[in-house]
Amino acid sequence: MAGAGLSPGVQKKTFFRGRQWPYHLSLTVTAVVIAFPLLYAALIATQNNTEIFAFQLTPGSALKSNFDAVWFGRDFAGAMWNSTIQTFVVTIGKTVLSLLAGLAFVYFKFRGKWVVFFFVLVTLMMPTEVMILAMFRLVSGFGWQDSMLAITVPFLASATGAFLFRQHFANLPSELLEASQIDGASPLQFLTRVIIPISWNVIAALFVIQFVYTWNMFLWPSLIIRDENKQVVQVALQTLTNIDGALTYGPLMLAAIIASIPPAIVFLLMQKPFMSGFAIGQNK
Amino acid sequence: MHKKLLLIATVLAFALIAAACSSSSEDTTTTAGSTETTAAAGGEATTIDFWVAFSDEARLGFANDRAAEFNEKHPEYNIQVTSFSSYNDVFDAAVLAVDSGEPPALIHFFEAATRQALDAVGSDGAPVFKSVTDAIGGRSEILGEPVVLDDVVDAARNYYTVDGSFYSMPWNTSTTVMFNNMDMLNEAGITEPPATWADVDAACEAVMALADAPKACITWPNHSWFVEQSLGQQGELLANNDNGRTGRATEVYLESDGMMNYINWWKDLNDKGYYTYTGIQRDWDGTSNAYLAGEVAMLVYSSSDTTFFDENADFTNVASFMPRNQDVDYVGNLIGGATIWMLDGMDQTTEDGALAFLNFFSNPENAAAWHKLTGYIPITKSAEALLADEGWYDESPNSKVASDQLAAAKNTPASLGALLGDFVGIRDIITGAIEDILVNDVDVATRLAQANTDANKALTEYESLYGG
Amino acid sequence: MLIGLIVAAILGPLYVWQNNDRPSAKRYGLGSAIAVLGAAVTPIAMGQCAFAAETTGVDHLFAYTLMAGGAWLALIALQSFFDRADGKKSESAAMTGEIRTGGFRMGWWVPWALLSPTLIVLIVFLYLPAIQTFTLSTKLTRLGAPKSVDVCFGNFTELFITDPWKLVAYPLIAVGLIYGARFWMNRSEPGTLSRKGADVATVVAMLSVFVALYAMFSPGGGEQVAYRPVYVTTVIISVGIVAFGMIGGLAVAYLAFRRIRGGSLYRTFLIWPYAISPAVAGVLFFMIFDPTAGIFTHTMSSVFGIDVPNYRHNAFMAQSAIILASGWKILGYNILFYLAGLQTVSHDQIEAALLDGASTWQRFVKIVLPALSPITFFLLVTNLTYAFFEVYATIDFMTKGAPAGKTSVAIYEIIRVGVNNGDLGRGAAQSVLLFAAVIAVTLWQFRTSGSRVSYGGS
Repeated sequence: MAGAGLSPGVQKKTFFRGRQWPYHLSLTVTAVVIAFPLLYAALIATQNNTEIFAFQLTPGSALKSNFDAVWFGRDFAGAMWNSTIQTFVVTIGKTVLSLLAGLAFVYFKFRGKWVVFFFVLVTLMMPTEVMILAMFRLVSGFGWQDSMLAITVPFLASATGAFLFRQHFANLPSELLEASQIDGASPLQFLTRVIIPISWNVIAALFVIQFVYTWNMFLWPSLIIRDENKQVVQVALQTLTNIDGALTYGPLMLAAIIASIPPAIVFLLMQKPFMSGFAIGQNK
Repeated sequence: MHKKLLLIATVLAFALIAAACSSSSEDTTTTAGSTETTAAAGGEATTIDFWVAFSDEARLGFANDRAAEFNEKHPEYNIQVTSFSSYNDVFDAAVLAVDSGEPPALIHFFEAATRQALDAVGSDGAPVFKSVTDAIGGRSEILGEPVVLDDVVDAARNYYTVDGSFYSMPWNTSTTVMFNNMDMLNEAGITEPPATWADVDAACEAVMALADAPKACITWPNHSWFVEQSLGQQGELLANNDNGRTGRATEVYLESDGMMNYINWWKDLNDKGYYTYTGIQRDWDGTSNAYLAGEVAMLVYSSSDTTFFDENADFTNVASFMPRNQDVDYVGNLIGGATIWMLDGMDQTTEDGALAFLNFFSNPENAAAWHKLTGYIPITKSAEALLADEGWYDESPNSKVASDQLAAAKNTPASLGALLGDFVGIRDIITGAIEDILVNDVDVATRLAQANTDANKALTEYESLYGG
Repeated sequence: MLIGLIVAAILGPLYVWQNNDRPSAKRYGLGSAIAVLGAAVTPIAMGQCAFAAETTGVDHLFAYTLMAGGAWLALIALQSFFDRADGKKSESAAMTGEIRTGGFRMGWWVPWALLSPTLIVLIVFLYLPAIQTFTLSTKLTRLGAPKSVDVCFGNFTELFITDPWKLVAYPLIAVGLIYGARFWMNRSEPGTLSRKGADVATVVAMLSVFVALYAMFSPGGGEQVAYRPVYVTTVIISVGIVAFGMIGGLAVAYLAFRRIRGGSLYRTFLIWPYAISPAVAGVLFFMIFDPTAGIFTHTMSSVFGIDVPNYRHNAFMAQSAIILASGWKILGYNILFYLAGLQTVSHDQIEAALLDGASTWQRFVKIVLPALSPITFFLLVTNLTYAFFEVYATIDFMTKGAPAGKTSVAIYEIIRVGVNNGDLGRGAAQSVLLFAAVIAVTLWQFRTSGSRVSYGGS
């Protein structure tokens, strides 16, 4: 694969010459420093308030009760479920819509294409956050408050995704199209049979970006979702800052860690395709 | 490459299944969790949505339990409790729900926004809420539940009575009291909880002179409610037209003597290091933690957590009246908390069910149980009597302080508290000014003058949208 | 208002003259008409409210600025139309992707059908709310209020100082400084701006813009809203996050890009915070900095004997905490991109420099930094976007804007005003300002990335 920026197999050169241990040492130290907030949170997640206030540096005794407080006391499982649905609907919807848009931009000629292109391009400088008040009024007007629709539908389209695929398709050899036109394939067949199978890296890159983006969404759900049973996980964290009238750190830290597991898994599992997909995206 | 494909395909498949499940489950079932329902045996039960602004286990649990009991007693009704994280959330959601045609029957809403609730209209211009008094219409029982509205203690009744009508059913009602770490005060030679500002100053001087002096001597949340309480104590109005009770309030007074006295005293305590500010506005958790951790000797707080402090303090915890200004005559403290508002436009069956539930919810046993659970005052006189008969007050004398303090208040507009448009915004302006004064050491008079300008602007604007 | 339209009618043809070779009379006419039309959009939409009897000079100023903006946009659109008519391959036309000659030859509706889901969502959930934001910003209204009051530019003018002359003068001075700096750096060899010269000019330009805006926003008092503190807070926190995140990211990436055993494992352990949410970052650092239970305060006092001020009282500590939490969260993202960028730095160049005996630092500054500048620039913009918006969740968990608004950045303030206080009009007006900032940053990105490429040299 050409120009794959980070895939190690490409330039089979020798390892860096010279003494390696200083690098190992400094990299290990850096990794530990970066991991510190999470490690510390993991420690706190096992402790009760007494242990925390005593600054105990060994795992505490309260992991089970903290977990119960989070998972059963506050129905964190429900929030995780809501986030899961939201994230998959948005991520898949975005990918599909972006694929279709990329297809239209690259493999069709039609009047007004450049107008449409600019129409989509301009949305790159229209972050939802700057129009969030109007959006709140609008979406509430649809009667969508407290519903899954409000936290999925507005995010289904993506200029980034459309351009990523447009760029990727444009770099594919044009023989692909000619071959399938001879076969008489329809655009959708062309997409599913020819394009998608050779585009997994880009799809994976978009998938990871959108998964992390959607899972980590905070501001919009905090406004439009008020019913605690329908809340997403990032906002639900807030209700854990206070359990029965007092600040309880252990459950809060545990919940923060639990809330980070899904995006971390997706990111780690799909790291390689993500990075090579990124390299294609960055290719210019 | 194949492994990757497989992985992605699995994830996608899972996602599709998840999406499919979600869309089907959305219509048919309601999520479990804070919603507890008892299905009626035979026949469709009338659903009554009750939106509650609590999300903690104890208080939300209380609402859930009462709803379950009521549903069992009246199988033809189904009270559904939904939990929200704040009063503002409940209110906004209710106003929006009115417009989209599926409003709840009852919502839990706080005292400061009483004016806002009275002013609330749907997109058709009709009021959102209905007066509970009017709906009861003089009946003494509804569906067999005795009406307790007439039995509500005076402080709450007077606060929530607007234009002669008692609009909403009080639920959690409290006042500000002071909690004292008597072990620490005794050590400093103070035997009685301080009653006045001067007493507090003296006590703090003694406490901070101790060899093992705490971090600071006293704290309370930077919440406008404490300011309003102090104005009530000193007999000063927060707004014109008798605090908005003989006509709509159109002007607020943030530069009054009462304001200046209180804020200056507060700043003085802060400057001397006696008062400690947690740095966050309306920080109930931080201040209560500081008190329980022994970082301060005294905490001015809501009586709502009396039981919590009694149970969790590992020192002698004694409640007393909120300290007052010794230089002026005491007028009275006011209430705070929230009531349950009933939405307008329900059919008679639903409305009666909602009313029956409201009266059941605050019947003497339930009101007494609520008080014991939290420390919010027993809301009816019969609940008070019940508790006294049980000997509860002998057992936990701290629980009586709030009711006593409210009973000691003179019934004047000042001690009733203000009815004010955009009160939430104006409270924000007040706490913002105080934070500036405490943190940035700005001049009290100048800062309050600015706050006064800002607050009056906010009020004028509110009135231009809702007034006359 | 008439004056504005007349000026537009004159400037329109001038613009046409400047951008076209010997334009026809028809084009002059069109230029004039389109400019007037563009300028007239604002007064028509706003019902000429800015020129009503009780308005001030500042209101007029806003109206004229918007008229100028409208005319300018209309002329740009007209020009791109001319360019297409002339068959010029403008940059934009190349970008729209006339990529291949082939393609499906099917009904005209097929591409539209493929695009329609995307377009519908963009129209309903981006364009419509964007327009409504502008409408809302001219009103006094509350969520659920039975009526609203038109306040024209009132929601904007109260954010600025009240003297119209100063409001005109400050941006003019800034523009003067920007061009002055370019001219000064240019003086020795006209026409070619050296890299160093360009850098100096950029710094001067940024500083001028920062300072001019500082002077223009109202410090509060009277009926004015104290927006200057919000602006200062936003600048401090944004610059802090971007600087910390990017310098840190580059440093770590430079350490990690070398080919050593276990390199990819290290990389994974360095970039994972990318997957962490801003909310969780807030929660984690909330714990670390907690004044009673956090490890930071405790370690500082028990190990080093330093009594750190409580970050909830102390503005510097609070802002540093937010910067640290957000910078930490975005570090992974920056490392990821810098690692990718460092792979493209030519090894031969580095080896050659090594033979020259260049020190590590010299190699870094002379070879690595310039080669990375496109990525640096890309990251600058994405980091800035992060610092503008995503920081909301972190702040909400750590400080809630405290102490005394010292961590209440623009987006936090919008939600405080528009949602918590229910003041939709003012919130929308502040949103429009933030919108303008985003557009300015994006346009700057387009312009600069265009010119950077030209002297990239590789």
